[in-house]
Amino acid sequence: MRITARSLLPLSAAIAFLFCASAVTALEIRLVYVGSTDESAWLGVLQGQHEANIQGRFLDQTYTVEAMTPEAFPQSEPRAAAIIAAGDASALQSLSEGMASTAVFNVTADDDDLRQGCTTNLLHVPPSRAMKASAVAQWTQKNPDANVEARAWHPKFVKYAARDLNKRFLKVQGVAMDDDAWAGWAAVRMVAEAVIRTQSTDPSALLAFMKSEIAFDGQKGIPHTFRDTGQLRQRLLIVDEAGKLTGEAPVRGVADTTDLDSLGVPSCQP
Amino acid sequence: MRPIAFAMLVFLTLAVGTVAAEPTYRVFVTNERADSVSVIDSRTNEVEATIDVGDRPRGIGFSPDRAYVYVALGEENAIGVIDARTLDVVKKVSAGSDPEAFAVHPNGNIYLSNEDANLATALNPVSGEILAEIPVGIEPEGVGVSPDGSRVMVTSESTFMVHVITVPEHEVVANVLVGARPREVTFSADGKWAYVTSEISGQVSKLDVAANAVVRQVKLDIPKAKPKGVVVSPDQKTLYVSTGSGNMIAALNADTLELLGTVKVGKRVWGIALSRDGSRLYTCNGVDDTVSVVDTASLTVAATIQVGTAPWGVVIDD
Repeated sequence: MRITARSLLPLSAAIAFLFCASAVTALEIRLVYVGSTDESAWLGVLQGQHEANIQGRFLDQTYTVEAMTPEAFPQSEPRAAAIIAAGDASALQSLSEGMASTAVFNVTADDDDLRQGCTTNLLHVPPSRAMKASAVAQWTQKNPDANVEARAWHPKFVKYAARDLNKRFLKVQGVAMDDDAWAGWAAVRMVAEAVIRTQSTDPSALLAFMKSEIAFDGQKGIPHTFRDTGQLRQRLLIVDEAGKLTGEAPVRGVADTTDLDSLGVPSCQP
Repeated sequence: MRPIAFAMLVFLTLAVGTVAAEPTYRVFVTNERADSVSVIDSRTNEVEATIDVGDRPRGIGFSPDRAYVYVALGEENAIGVIDARTLDVVKKVSAGSDPEAFAVHPNGNIYLSNEDANLATALNPVSGEILAEIPVGIEPEGVGVSPDGSRVMVTSESTFMVHVITVPEHEVVANVLVGARPREVTFSADGKWAYVTSEISGQVSKLDVAANAVVRQVKLDIPKAKPKGVVVSPDQKTLYVSTGSGNMIAALNADTLELLGTVKVGKRVWGIALSRDGSRLYTCNGVDDTVSVVDTASLTVAATIQVGTAPWGVVIDD
């Protein structure tokens, strides 16, 4: 058969169509984890990466995470879409100052002062001490004798889709999911959502999306958004002295269960 | 036998064999935490039977001839098959890991989501053969089959996508991003549109099926609404959406997605089903253990029926 321009036309049209149909640009997203890989937050980060890559399979996106110690971390890391840090307040502060337009996730520290620093690129996934105190205060309004604490997560949490997250974390990581693991997981999944929704890997675009537009599904039955303090709004779990999950906050009957700002300090104090 | 009489007999036999059987007028409801199916007579709104079906029944649907009711049994990794007339559980068919929701193809095959395996499975419920396992996103849930059978859509809740799968190739040809935690997908009767509910973002999305694209998306303006169930009226003009902890059914204009009205039903309303003529909507109120019967013309509750613990899904044969 003679191959002519005419006979190639349908083929080129088909190729053009295929090209348009898969017009998603291949993206590589690099994240940096600063902290010890012995921490459960690191397992959360790995789980988040695993899931972001399952998602990325359909959208031609690949997520890599490089772990480094605070000492090994350079002054700035321009190739990182976001930084995830398991460190203390001063380490977080210096990390965020070094790269002002990149999101730096705090995944382990609960200091209230750190939130009230209102650093624009510092995003706090764990609940602050003030949030946990509010949750306990709401609970003890109902039951003054209760000896409870508030947490971000619980391995026996099944409501909403918590059952599914606990199940797959245990299956892949081989241990139960705790608060820090949830925070590490959430940080990576939030970056992935920002990448998908903005179709960008530009760190400042991702930071802007997360601060103003994200309605993240942390598998706690309510969309998560960020306060202007950088704190992630979230539902908390009430755990009794035996470690048993006994309730949720905001506490029904005491506060509106969807009013996440009834926990802690909702905005930057003047 | 005279030839004419024989011809009549053949005709009658054929007629009985091919024309759809008289409906049972039964409403079937899965009770997730009672491991049962409640059977309601839609003419009296009385529960006429409760069937012990198996562990964690959720998704429910009919065979194309409505002779059988299929029930996804998540903890048994199976589809339970109930005879719609005798109400016997006639068999259980292996369905892969943790089947949650499904849709029945016009050819009789079942397309289901395996929630903990990131798969959609195509299953022949008659032979028990698994025809395909199609990788999809995390926590797949809602499944819809286009009226012409050429497309299957599966939502993945934790990757907030609608995966578009072609039949018979079983290839994922598009992944459409929607709001967080998409739970159900359904097609309009003409197959041009698909509607998706997103529980965490509170949105309803309208997809252009030919373009594999979202053409309209609204956030329901109802307090605490977490959209879950979605059905289209027979005239394609109205969309009914259950709102979970919003405890209401929302009626939307199927074209513009404008909110037309609401009706308060019971707590944590999930699965919904319309009568064939569209005049009645049945709703599963998971926390109240009831089914509400909504008169769609007036958007009022006509009856409330006690069923088993945690009603999840509902279908009607009328």
